[in-house]
Amino acid sequence: MNPEAPTAAELEMHPEVQAAFAAAWADSFPDDPTLRHEEGGFIYANPVTGDVVTRRALPGTTRVLDLTYPPPVPGCFLIATYHTHPNPIALGWDPEPSGEDRIEAGDSGVPWFVISEIGVFVVGPVRRVGGFSGPLGYPL
Amino acid sequence: MSSAVSSPTISRQQAISIAEADALPVYGNLDDLTLEVALGADGWHVDYWLRKPRHAGGGPHYVIDANSGVILSKKYSQ
Repeated sequence: MNPEAPTAAELEMHPEVQAAFAAAWADSFPDDPTLRHEEGGFIYANPVTGDVVTRRALPGTTRVLDLTYPPPVPGCFLIATYHTHPNPIALGWDPEPSGEDRIEAGDSGVPWFVISEIGVFVVGPVRRVGGFSGPLGYPL
Repeated sequence: MSSAVSSPTISRQQAISIAEADALPVYGNLDDLTLEVALGADGWHVDYWLRKPRHAGGGPHYVIDANSGVILSKKYSQ
């Protein structure tokens, strides 16, 4: 068993994670001013098998997503979160992680991915703080 | 060290009104955000922050000229 969780860079290359990012972006309706909203969820890893799985959070509003309660996944630790920034640069919106995103990522102990029209950003720790130990959800 | 504008023509409340007039059509409402206002050397800094643990999101941020009321810079965080 690897005591260290995968890094954000490793996760960003994982097919399961890439598929989750693409699905969240599509479900955010970035091109529809009426339906546009934040989507996202949680990334987990099984320390025994190495499997990486994702779960979605409930849809957010146009500019907020609640990531308070990652649903438990048996045998798996939460290792990252992800959410979209679907509001367009053309209308003056900042695609980058907000100051609040950066603070919450640091406080949560796992990397936070932000999916935007210009690419994927990551803030917070490089990997889950404390490795595969402690609570299965947020480590901090 | 920078110092605040000594005698601003634009009041704190006027600066907030200017920021809200710009932000409300974009954000819909600002009720879930915490307002911070400070007068700096470059004008009024009007910042709205999302203060909810484990929530992703953000608010608008402005620098407003303390004498003309012109918005010098703004950022719509999400």
